[in-house]
Amino acid sequence: MHLDAQALTDFARGCAVLGSGGGGPVADTLPVAAQAIEECGPVPVVAPEELPTDALVLPVSLVGSPAVAAERIGGRGEAGRLAARVEQLHGRPVAAVMCGEIGGQNGCFTVSWAARLGVPLLDADSIGRAFPRLDQNVLELAGLSPFPAVLSDEYGRTVVLDDVDGAFLEELARPVVAVFGGRAVSADYPLSAGQAARHAVRGSVTTALALGRGEDLDPVLTGKVASVQRPGDGAASVLLEGTGGDAGRLVVLRARSEFVAAMEDGRALALVPDVIALIDARTGWAVPVEEVRYGLRVRLVTFPSAAVWYTEAGLRLAGPEAFGLAGLKREVAP
Amino acid sequence: MTVTVGVDVGPTSTDAVLLDDTRPVAAVKVPSRPGDAIGSLAAAVEELPADVRARAVTLAVGLRVAARAVTERSGLAQVGVLRIGGAAADTVRPLFGWPDELRAAVCAGVANVAGGSGLAPLDGAPLDEAAVAAFGAELAGRAEAFAVSSVFSPADGAQERAAARILRERAGQDVPVLLSGEIGALGLIQRENATVLDAALCVLVARVADELTAALPGLGLAPGAGVLVTRHDGTLMSLDYLRRQPGLSLGSGPACTLRGAGLLAGVGDAVVVDVGERRARVGVLSGGYPREAAPGEHIGGVPVILRFPDLLTVDAAAHRDIAEAADRMQPAAGRLPVVLVGGGAHRVPDAALPGCDVVRPEHGDVAGAFGAAASPVGGSCERIVRRPDALDAVRDEVRELARASAVRAGADPRRVRTVLDPEEYVPYLPGAVLLRARASGPPAPL
Repeated sequence: MHLDAQALTDFARGCAVLGSGGGGPVADTLPVAAQAIEECGPVPVVAPEELPTDALVLPVSLVGSPAVAAERIGGRGEAGRLAARVEQLHGRPVAAVMCGEIGGQNGCFTVSWAARLGVPLLDADSIGRAFPRLDQNVLELAGLSPFPAVLSDEYGRTVVLDDVDGAFLEELARPVVAVFGGRAVSADYPLSAGQAARHAVRGSVTTALALGRGEDLDPVLTGKVASVQRPGDGAASVLLEGTGGDAGRLVVLRARSEFVAAMEDGRALALVPDVIALIDARTGWAVPVEEVRYGLRVRLVTFPSAAVWYTEAGLRLAGPEAFGLAGLKREVAP
Repeated sequence: MTVTVGVDVGPTSTDAVLLDDTRPVAAVKVPSRPGDAIGSLAAAVEELPADVRARAVTLAVGLRVAARAVTERSGLAQVGVLRIGGAAADTVRPLFGWPDELRAAVCAGVANVAGGSGLAPLDGAPLDEAAVAAFGAELAGRAEAFAVSSVFSPADGAQERAAARILRERAGQDVPVLLSGEIGALGLIQRENATVLDAALCVLVARVADELTAALPGLGLAPGAGVLVTRHDGTLMSLDYLRRQPGLSLGSGPACTLRGAGLLAGVGDAVVVDVGERRARVGVLSGGYPREAAPGEHIGGVPVILRFPDLLTVDAAAHRDIAEAADRMQPAAGRLPVVLVGGGAHRVPDAALPGCDVVRPEHGDVAGAFGAAASPVGGSCERIVRRPDALDAVRDEVRELARASAVRAGADPRRVRTVLDPEEYVPYLPGAVLLRARASGPPAPL
């Protein structure tokens, strides 16, 4: 399979859904990927098994603030510089690129890197959705090391973090990104194709394409945004009022960078790590948390994310309590 | 008592109203003259009663020439497109994704030179002045205008100003140079696109502004009467402001109609249906101003950072489509009244909007002209703040910049009021907030 210009829009639409309201606006990185494909050709998408087990896979993600990245759109030479540094650290070539985060704007961003490096994109990713912390990924759950983690900006200024665990990576990376002015590219949790086959979220690219074509999206509720409250620091509370067949229903969404809970009559319809997406009825695109506004016509869509997130360790890292939703406990999946 | 003339130059008819303070004294409608906005305006104004008109101190006009130029790709200037960002900002090249014929109509040449700023001084790079000079020399005599867009210019516009100086030295002091920093919002590509459209429109808009200035003394208004033009948020701006940011006038026609409909009906919150000859436009008023569309607006197929009124456009004869659009635009809580205006409003019976509180205000067929006459001069400013301890100081600064922008647009400095929008948190940038202030006030006196 190849990702070409035609498939890219579907892919981006699917990534927006998987962002669960977060991960940054895909509209900002869609043209980045479109230009890279125009200049370098369509990107082959391969399953991890199609590569030699010891082949080096480069997981990349844009980290920091999407608002800053909308301004500092990055350079075409960034991918080659960072990959060269990673190859120097590992002593072997990068064989494929993998999305560090399929949800939100990182999906298309990673496609542009695969195109520019001339390597395939793995049909897999490190999260299966979007999460705010660098260590909130399934490779951390699998016990893989995040180092050497390489962070760089568009001028090639580079920081290599060694001998850090996931929590320490997050603590160190945030001030580094702040010094970089709120935007950096991170290549962390470097891994082999064999490790990706065993531990990464499988089929993420094909999932995004299917979601982007509108498959598997039965809405939980069709309605309008009746109110939006933003108490600050990224928290938001959105009241949805059902319309048509859903008239009379009220659903409250809670968000912290992403939508993390959908509540009806005190009962959770969906709870992080579930994906919770609001689809704009007019455009068919999932709406980022910060762009939700009063009066918007929406469809609420929810579905479970990767099974590993519902284990005890998964819920500890990215369950309701990790997002400050006290009292909303999720049962560990059998 | 302040007398104001409001004019809306539409595609088929040109409407004019005379307001004594807020009271409509007269309203007229004349056929528009194709391709002659100022002639259409003069013909409409002359139909207004001469005695009251002679006391008018302000002429507020919705010209719609910019919108027509973009959609018809006519009268657009050849623009030299300069980006300041260089190899650190080239993953999306200037004019990427533009429709071919629009790009051909506006593009005299493109350059992306090193430079750019950031949230902090260290985030940027020095401007490659030699490359700017070479670009200016290359396009001298070919570019009718320049559009300059630098990374993070809304936070620090020094490099854009320096580049403008160099371009004028090389390409001529009279060549208009439009700077993206004046648009003020973050998002390099959409801001650059909007700036290129501004530059492409500025020659045409300058000609129309000159014609309007020349026609003014013959319109029979009070001696020294001022002219203001409409903009996309339902406020007004001076002709000088229009020359610098013609794109602000895009979407102003519907915005003024929405505002006028609300003012005529005496409601601040409403769904407005503007029924024209062929199309009906449905929008929403919130607090007297048009509700903005979500980010991601396009003009002529090009993504731009400008905010437009949130509108649904349907066939004017399809009453069921009108009813469905009006229902879709209703915000959730409560049912707002539906205000029907426009020349074709009488063809849509109340029964076509079942269950709606339908209001048909007097003079609704000239709502756009009324909205122009009754609107204040506006301005705005936005800024990202990273340090919470600096918030108070920046809040004051943003208010002051919004006030200054309204004054530059022609507002009376003594009577400008500013409103801070709710602070928006900036996702994934801990501690940072987006501050946005709007300002509005009556036109500066003669």
